[in-house]
Amino acid sequence: MKITVKHWHAVAQWRWDTGNSDPDDADGEGDVCGICRVPFEGCCPSCKMPGDDCPLIWGECTHVFHLHCLLKWLGTVASKQQCPMDRRTWVTAERRVGEASAPGPAADS
Amino acid sequence: MASDALRSQVAAKWQEAFGRLNKNEQGIAGLMAFSKAWNLALALLHPRKLDEPKEPADIDTIKTAFTVINAGRRLPFLLETFLEELQKHYYLVQMDVEEYMSRFEETEDPDFVRKLVLRLVAWFKHWAPMSELGTTIYSAYTLSFQTHLFSIVPPSFARGFKVLIASTLATSNSSTATSDSAIETDDLNAPIWQAFETLGLIDRYETIIATIGYEFIEQHVLEACTGEWSRPMLVELRDWMSDKVVPWMVLIYARGAANADEARVMLQGVGSRFDFHINKTLCDLRTREIFDIIIDFPESSGALYDLRDCLQRVDQRPALVKALRQANRKRLLHPGADTKLILSQYVATIKCLRLIDPPGVLLFKVADPIRRYLRDRPDTIRCIVANLVGDDSDSPDSLLDDTLDPSGTGGVGGSGTGGNNGQLLVNPATLVDDYSDPNWDPEPIDAGPEFRANKPGDVLSTLVSIYDSQDLFVKELQVLLAQRLLSIPISSSDQTSNAEIVEKIEKERRNVEILKLRFGEAALGVCEVMLRDMTDSRRIDAHIQGVQENVVHPTIISQHFWPALESSSLSMPGQFSALQQTYSTAFNTFKPDKRLKFLPHLGTITLHLELEDRDLEVTVPPLEAAFIELFAEKNTWSLEQLMEGVGGVDRGSALKALLTWIDHGVVEECVDEEREGLFRLVEVVKEKGEDEGAGGLARQGVAAQVQAQEAGGAGVQPAASAQQQQAEQMRVYWKFIEGMLTNLGGLPIDRIQSMLRFAPGYDQTVEQLSLFLEAARREGVVVCREGVWKLNK
Repeated sequence: MKITVKHWHAVAQWRWDTGNSDPDDADGEGDVCGICRVPFEGCCPSCKMPGDDCPLIWGECTHVFHLHCLLKWLGTVASKQQCPMDRRTWVTAERRVGEASAPGPAADS
Repeated sequence: MASDALRSQVAAKWQEAFGRLNKNEQGIAGLMAFSKAWNLALALLHPRKLDEPKEPADIDTIKTAFTVINAGRRLPFLLETFLEELQKHYYLVQMDVEEYMSRFEETEDPDFVRKLVLRLVAWFKHWAPMSELGTTIYSAYTLSFQTHLFSIVPPSFARGFKVLIASTLATSNSSTATSDSAIETDDLNAPIWQAFETLGLIDRYETIIATIGYEFIEQHVLEACTGEWSRPMLVELRDWMSDKVVPWMVLIYARGAANADEARVMLQGVGSRFDFHINKTLCDLRTREIFDIIIDFPESSGALYDLRDCLQRVDQRPALVKALRQANRKRLLHPGADTKLILSQYVATIKCLRLIDPPGVLLFKVADPIRRYLRDRPDTIRCIVANLVGDDSDSPDSLLDDTLDPSGTGGVGGSGTGGNNGQLLVNPATLVDDYSDPNWDPEPIDAGPEFRANKPGDVLSTLVSIYDSQDLFVKELQVLLAQRLLSIPISSSDQTSNAEIVEKIEKERRNVEILKLRFGEAALGVCEVMLRDMTDSRRIDAHIQGVQENVVHPTIISQHFWPALESSSLSMPGQFSALQQTYSTAFNTFKPDKRLKFLPHLGTITLHLELEDRDLEVTVPPLEAAFIELFAEKNTWSLEQLMEGVGGVDRGSALKALLTWIDHGVVEECVDEEREGLFRLVEVVKEKGEDEGAGGLARQGVAAQVQAQEAGGAGVQPAASAQQQQAEQMRVYWKFIEGMLTNLGGLPIDRIQSMLRFAPGYDQTVEQLSLFLEAARREGVVVCREGVWKLNK
């Protein structure tokens, strides 16, 4: 018997490749943004649409936040342009395409 | 012996009487004249038989005679003697009465009664003193005659009289119906009515006459209006009444009216009583029919308008409420009725009672049991929501369309969020009493203390208000939307069906937009995301297909915005896994910082099977596809092996999936002894009849197993229903409950609830908790004794 797939209407979930969680994480519980405590795949409190409309931002310090959350934080005087998690000066990391899709632990985990 | 004194007294008396009668005539000439006059008068008044002619008498002689008698002051005695004579001869009348009545009793023919009445009139006239003799004697005679008559008529006369009157009513002349002819007496029945009047029967039997009228009206109303709901009948009934009943009434109640106006005045009282009776009869009839009228709505609106008008005259509102509640309890609120049915009847009830009683008091009273009953049904929300989004094709008029129906506006001032529709779709919470409203009306007097006026034209909010919060609706709405969206494919090979897909999504979007106006933007924000996921998926898929063709077309969802989808440990074998991998990689290239996680048990797959003797193209769920893929590796599998091969699924769905293939004739159960419980691929279809029995047997066996599994409640649904989710949620708190019961021993439910409140995110009510505990008790993990819950050790 030969089986050919003609058409497959599948269902899939997307998730951010934050680099520091196992991509095959079975329970599907993603990490939450350190500022708003909403999952990365959700959206920050000021957004309605998740995904590309409410992207993430990666810091050199490996911390990840909703872009809007972090910008709002950096906009306050109290932030002193520091990462809210480790108080190092915030430097946005360059995301290298390709690295993200590589399975296994990310470079700086 | 009499004394002298007595003697002289008698003599004096005699002298006085003699003087009075004799006047001052000579000798006894006066006495003679008196005697002559007396005899003449008596002979004149003597009651004779009907066939005995009256003695011819000269009116002047008689007058003279009476003057003489009057002069002698013997007139009272004459009258007395006459009445005595009358009584003595009344046996003649009695004989007649008895004869006619016995014949009536034999035949029940009212004609005998009619004849009797006419005969009685003949007697009456025959015996009546001349009118020239003055009214005193005439009225004394009438009274006496009637008294005797009433004393001798048998009990059956009343019955006969009734029948007779009924027959006069039935033959009542309808051609003389205009009000001008009201005093015309050329009616066929006029003579008999005059006879009644002469004999004083009308006054005596007035109640019977009225009863006849009422019964006649009742009968007509029942005949004309039963089941006749499409048009208002009240006007027709009134016309009929002035056609048929009024002429009849004129004879009775307006007898002796000089002209039309006078007749009208005389008829006024009795007329309004009869009109009231029409209203009452119709009202009673409609009250009895109300349940079916509501079923027939809107075809039955005529009957409802009637009922409304009747209720304004007749105070039957409590009866209506009672009847409807009773009918509902008997015919609607029982386990045999579908929730959908109850809902649609409830909606119809709302609309109907709004017509009858715009303030909604009736509705409030009737709706209460329905609402309580619906609240107890588990699938009510699902039904309402399904109705809301027009899920079922067999009811084209969904609630949503009602919501948009501009006729239902009712002028409710609203927040106006959504243009024109905003007015009807106001969130019910915003509808508070406006105290500055100049058109404000107090609540009707029969409204109970807990009555809350529902603004008209708001069926949906009435339904939603069955429950205390609208969260449940929103949740169910999301679940339903998720199910519907997931069933829409993302792309298709040909253009026309692509357009269809877009149209489907657009339809859902439209629904969501409408519902947003009601439930609020925030509540349905999640639905918005779901819709956007659909369009995004299409876009992404189009892009990926543009780079490299792929048969996989996934709906990519944002997991936190979709209702919890049932999880599964299914993993697709063979080429499917490879296909998923390819697509994931392509996706990663397109969106470098995102990854895809397939939910393999959802969706559908179209497969093309090439078997040795035939080709097959089928569209199946993923599990089926996974199984057949396994059969491509190896021809024979046992059920356990298959389940293992796809990474563990429950037995029920596995059997069901196998059954699909058995139905397609691709797989069959092995019948050999040593390979029992194995299934093998049918590469070549055997000759008909050769193996049919066995194959059929196999199918039956598996089907039976599937049924057994399904009876256990293992239906496969892509999205867990709100109820299941709730149970899932409760399971988290089970740990807490278990902990506190272990540490503290037995606890009453209130304690458990108050302690659970400390748990983060706990939002269940005591009722929900008790349901959960009850379920746990059935499973045997806890026991409940005297209201105290303990762990079952």
